[in-house]
Parts: sequence; C-alpha cells; structure tokens
Amino acid sequence: MKGFIKIVVIAMVFVAVSCQDKAAPNYQYMPDMHESVGYETYGEAAFPNGIQAQLPAEGTIPRGFVPFDIENSTAGYNLAKETLTNPLDSTEVDFERGKVLYDIYCGVCHGDKGDGQGILVKREKILGIPSFDDVGRAITHGSTYHTVYYGKNAMGSYANQLNEEERWQVTSYVMKLKQDLEK
Amino acid sequence: MAASHYEAPIRRPLVAGKKTYHDVTVDVARPVEGKANKQWWIVFSISLAAFLWGVGCIMYTITEGIGTWGLNKTVGWAWDITNFVWWVGIGHAGTLISAVLLLFRQKWRMAINRSAEAMTIFAVLQAGLFPLIHMGRPWLAFWVLPIPNQFGSLWVNFNSPLLWDVFAISTYLSVSLVFWWTGLLPDFAMLRDRAVKPFQKKIYALLSFGWSGRAKDWQRFEEVSLVLAGLATPLVISVHTIVSFDFATSVIPGWHTTIFPPYFVAGAVFSGFAMVNTLLIIMRKVSNLEDYITIQHIELINIVIMITGTVVGVAYITELFVAWYSGVEYEQYAFLNRATGPYWWAYLLMMTCNVFSPQLMWFKKLRTSIMFSFFISIVVNIGMWFERFVIIVTSLHRDYLPSSWTMFSPTFVDIGTFIGTIGFFFVLFLLYARTFPIIAQAEVKTILKSSGQYYKEIRESGGSLAGAAVDVRTSGGSPMQVSEGVKENSSDKVNDLLDSIGVFDAATQTADDLKKISGIGPKMEDVLNSIGIYTFLQVSKMSKKEYDLLDSITGSFPGRAERDDWSGQAKKLIN
Repeated sequence: MKGFIKIVVIAMVFVAVSCQDKAAPNYQYMPDMHESVGYETYGEAAFPNGIQAQLPAEGTIPRGFVPFDIENSTAGYNLAKETLTNPLDSTEVDFERGKVLYDIYCGVCHGDKGDGQGILVKREKILGIPSFDDVGRAITHGSTYHTVYYGKNAMGSYANQLNEEERWQVTSYVMKLKQDLEK
Repeated sequence: MAASHYEAPIRRPLVAGKKTYHDVTVDVARPVEGKANKQWWIVFSISLAAFLWGVGCIMYTITEGIGTWGLNKTVGWAWDITNFVWWVGIGHAGTLISAVLLLFRQKWRMAINRSAEAMTIFAVLQAGLFPLIHMGRPWLAFWVLPIPNQFGSLWVNFNSPLLWDVFAISTYLSVSLVFWWTGLLPDFAMLRDRAVKPFQKKIYALLSFGWSGRAKDWQRFEEVSLVLAGLATPLVISVHTIVSFDFATSVIPGWHTTIFPPYFVAGAVFSGFAMVNTLLIIMRKVSNLEDYITIQHIELINIVIMITGTVVGVAYITELFVAWYSGVEYEQYAFLNRATGPYWWAYLLMMTCNVFSPQLMWFKKLRTSIMFSFFISIVVNIGMWFERFVIIVTSLHRDYLPSSWTMFSPTFVDIGTFIGTIGFFFVLFLLYARTFPIIAQAEVKTILKSSGQYYKEIRESGGSLAGAAVDVRTSGGSPMQVSEGVKENSSDKVNDLLDSIGVFDAATQTADDLKKISGIGPKMEDVLNSIGIYTFLQVSKMSKKEYDLLDSITGSFPGRAERDDWSGQAKKLIN
C-alpha cells in the first residue's frame, strides 16, 4: 500500500512537470488582466500594416522638436561642413556623457580613440573605417553631425538612437578625439 | 422516598411515556432503519429543486459577474451579507445548546442538542457560501489565506474584520463539526450494532470509529465534551462578534456602534433558537419523537427566545437613545431614515417581529402552544432577516454625502441564491434526519432514570428502581427452546426453511412483534418462534415454497400464511 502511494505521488509529480513546455509560455491560472486591453507600443493590431506603432503624418512637428533642415545629400553634407556649428556652449558640453554614448554607438567600428580601429575592424568583420584625423576628410562639427544624422556611405543614420542633444554631445566628443589624435 | 436519589419534585419529566433503555434505542433508530415515506420524498424533492436553482444562480453570478445582482455603487452589500449574517446567526443556537447548556448542566438540552448542532453545521455551510460567491473574483479566494507564495511572500492584512471572518467561520465550522461528531460516536455505534444489512453495518462501523463504550472511553468522552463545550462557548460569542465587527468597525453612521458585538450575539441566539424550534416542532411529529422532544423542551426554547428577544429589544432602544443622545446629525438621520425613510416597512417589520412577538411568550398559554411556537419561530426568523437587511441597506443607501443617496432592490439572482441556500439547508437536514441518530440516545439514556416519567413515577410512589429497566425484549433466557408443538422429524424441513429465509441471531438482532401481522396470534407467534422465526425480515422472505414448508412443519391452518400474505405484510412492517 505504501509503495503504491509512492508510485501514485511520483506519477502525479511527473504528470504535473510534464505539462510545462519550455518552448512555449507556461500555463496561467485565471489570466484576468494578463492580456492588455489598451494598445501597447510594439504590439500587433488590425491596422493597415499590422502593427500598433503607426507613423505620424508627414510635416507634423511635436512639441520640443526642431526639424533638421539640411538635406541628406553631398551638397547638404558640404553645407553642414561649412555652416553648421555646435549649439552647445562650453558649459553644456559633457565629454563624459559624450564618451559613454560614443563607446556604445560608435566605438565598435571607429575605435575608442577614433583611429578607425574598432573591434569589428580588428576582427576583420568590416574594413575601410577612416581615422578621425584623416586629413583628406577634415571633419568638422557640422559634417560630423550631418553624418551622425543621415549616415554616410557604409555608415547608417543614428538619428533613431540618439536625440539632438546627444548627437551634439557625441559630435563634441568626436572632435575632441580628433584633436587628441592630431597631437 | 426510598431511593438515595434526590431530585426536586418541581422538575417535570424530560422523557415522557413508559420508556426503557431499549425503547430509547428503538425510537431513535426507527427513522434511520426505516424507509423514507412519500412526504419525505416530496419535501426532499422541493428542497433539492430549490438547491439546484440556487446552484444555477450562483453559477450565473460567478460566470456573468456580480452585476447580475441588485447591488450598486452605493449599496455594495445587501442580500449577500444579509443572508450570510442570517445563516451564521441561525447556526449559533446549535453550539449554544450543546455547549453553553452543557456548561450550565441543563438536562433538557440532551434531546435537542444533536439536531441543533446539525442545524449549526448546515447553517454555517450556507453562510460560508456567501463570502465566496459575493466576491468579484472568487477564484482568487485563496488569497485570503496567509500562504507563503511567489509574490515575494505577499500576505494578507490582518486588520480587516473580513479576514477575521475567514478565521472565525472556518474555526467555528471545524470545531462544531468535531464536537458534533464526537457526540455521534456512541450513537453511530448503536446503529452499527443494530444494523442488519451488511452495507449499513459497514457504513456505521466506519462512522462510529470503533466505539466500544468502555469505561475509559466514556470517561474521556465526557472530558472531551466538557473541554469542547468550554472552547465552543467563547467561540460562539467571538464568531458573531467578529461578524458584527464587519459593520461596527466601519465609519458608516448606523454601523459604527459599540453595541453591535453583544447585540448581534443575542440576535444570533434569538434567531437560532427560533430555527431550532421550527425544525424540532416538525421533527418531533414526523419522526415520532414527541416523548423526547416534549412540550417542556419547546417551552424552554420559547423562554430563551423571549429572553434574547428582550435583549435585542433593549439593544434597539439603546441604539435609538444613543443616536438621539449623541448629537451627531448623521447618526440621528440614520435612525430617522430607518423609521421614516423609504425602507420604513422593513424597519417596522423587524421591530414587530423581533420586539413584539417574543413578548407574547410571557403568556404560558401561548408559549406552551405548539402551533403558536411554530408560528412565532417563523416570525422571528423573518424579523431577524430584516434586522440584518435594515442594518446593512438603510445605513448604506443614505449616508454622509446626499449625492450618493440611492435605493436598493434585489434581482432574481439575489433572491434565487437565498432560496438556493434554504433548499441546500433542507436537503442536508432531511438527509441528516434519515441517516443520523437525530437524538443523542446515549445522553438521553443518562437522564432516563432521573428525568424519565416512568422512573420518576416509580420513585415518587416509593418503589425501587432495581430491575425497573429490564426489558423483556432484550433480557431473559435463551429463546431457542423447541416447543412440543413441532415434531422432531421436521428438523430437516426447519433447516430448509431457515436456509431460505435466514437464521435469527439473538446476539445482533432483536425479535419483532410478529403478532402485528394479521393472521398471526400469540399462539402462532410461539410456534414461529419455536421454529426460529422471530423477525419481519425473515417472514418477508417467504414465498410459496416456504409457506408450504411451514404448513408441513406446523400441520395447522394449511394455506393460511399464503392467504393472509404474511410476507407482504412483513415487508410493510419493516418499513
């Protein structure tokens, strides 16, 4: 009898454990407020493209946002290089934050020193990354910001990852790295 | 007075009729051993239908939501908690009878305590439904228990009287159940020992936990009963006190009162005893227990109803006085609203039923009238239902903010659930009355010689009780003497006959009065007994073959048994 009870208990444990499938979400007891009634940012919905995150109407400007008027072209790049200046003054530039952002978003290709020797370059995953002190390019605040905003050649846009103030912090830090390389 | 026993001559007998110990056993066992009659099935079917209707309403509530009830944002408690408190209150009489009256050595409790406790348990079960079904999400009801869990061991807040209710009701139910069951052990053992059919014997053997009635068992039994009675008494008081805290600890005018705990307990005893009276007045009649549940029992219950009804009346007056005396306009308005507001009729009904009707019990003529007691017992329960309704609804529907004033009216689901619990209660009670020994025969036997009418008369006439309990059916010599009327050479036939109808075992069975069968006289009974036929069960198994065998054994009145249909008669007599 005792042995029988043991077998029953073990069998029940096995049955209980076997129900849980690691490859699928687990069973829920009464998931009353588990599924969202409202729309969630990255959810799916019965919208034209099937996602809940819809694009804003073109030409609209949210509060606290300044559109970047220089266009994404060589002409625009040159215009930025010549005319665009860093709006941050010396009290607003924060190299520590600039370094943190640079190391996260830029260092992987450009290298922590800006010498074009990022970890992906060293491992030969990609090539053709110029150093910031490349004389032929002669980058300025304006051209750097334009590049971060739109991307250039093999580099993509970082406007999505960094907001305007962060882009200028990164730009400031890039220019500091350039100075350090030129020493 | 030759006897050493002294009992005040003023005491009236508690067991009427010329009852011996065996009579008590037979009378208590009769409803259990017999078959249910038509009326029982009719009442049971009605109760079952009401119960199933209630189950439907409960399922509808749980699946559809509390919005199916008549509650609104202002009145969040109405019929649900009214019924809860009403049922808990009804339950209190059972424990009061079995525990408090035990502590006060009231012998009259013995004939009624078993049924009163059964009533407690069945009523608390009904009450226990409401805290669950009035929850918005009853499937999370287990969260009221302080169980270690995965929410960082999130526990309950022990400050809520609703949580105290959980502990109070569950403790109350379990203690009552244990108390009741312990008392049942000797009685189940009695049924076990009397059972003829193996299935019944097996069941009652399981239920009686192998009770053998030794001196040591009885000693411990008495001690346990006393300890449990001592525990149950504070429990009774605390349980309904905690129920009253649901209201008394609030800030609602009309609820926030210090009088509620004792007043609710008095009301509980009041309504509980009324329900006991309702049930016992019916039960003594249908189960033929008028000799045990006498008019004296009913009178004493009525006196308790009268006393507690008066306590409740005093509480009503106290509330009114304090409301006037308080100078709190909200409190004053709450009582003004009860008396003259839109629910004036409920307040008037409650006042009439609870304050006026028990005062009629001062008249001996009324309190010793069974019909009147029955009527008042129902009136009291209606009044006590309205007491809870008035307290809950009239205090909620008009309180501090006039913009929140509203009305309450129940839906069919509210009413259906209540009817369902009444049905469930009666389903349980009717089943109980057919399967349980409804009178604590072991206890009644302890007062039989002191308070039984027969023995009191013997004592009062100066006679001796020695040998007075002897019952010819249970004592005396072996009945297995073969009379001369039966020839020796018929013993083979006798064996054949007994093979087919069963052998009578004097150790476990009792002989029936075969003379009740038309066609069997005293002489024929002797002849049948000499063959070994003592019970209706045996006679009921006879058919053509057995009749012929019997004729050939006795040689007298051939064909008589068949013509009279002894077997058919015996079958009816078994039931």
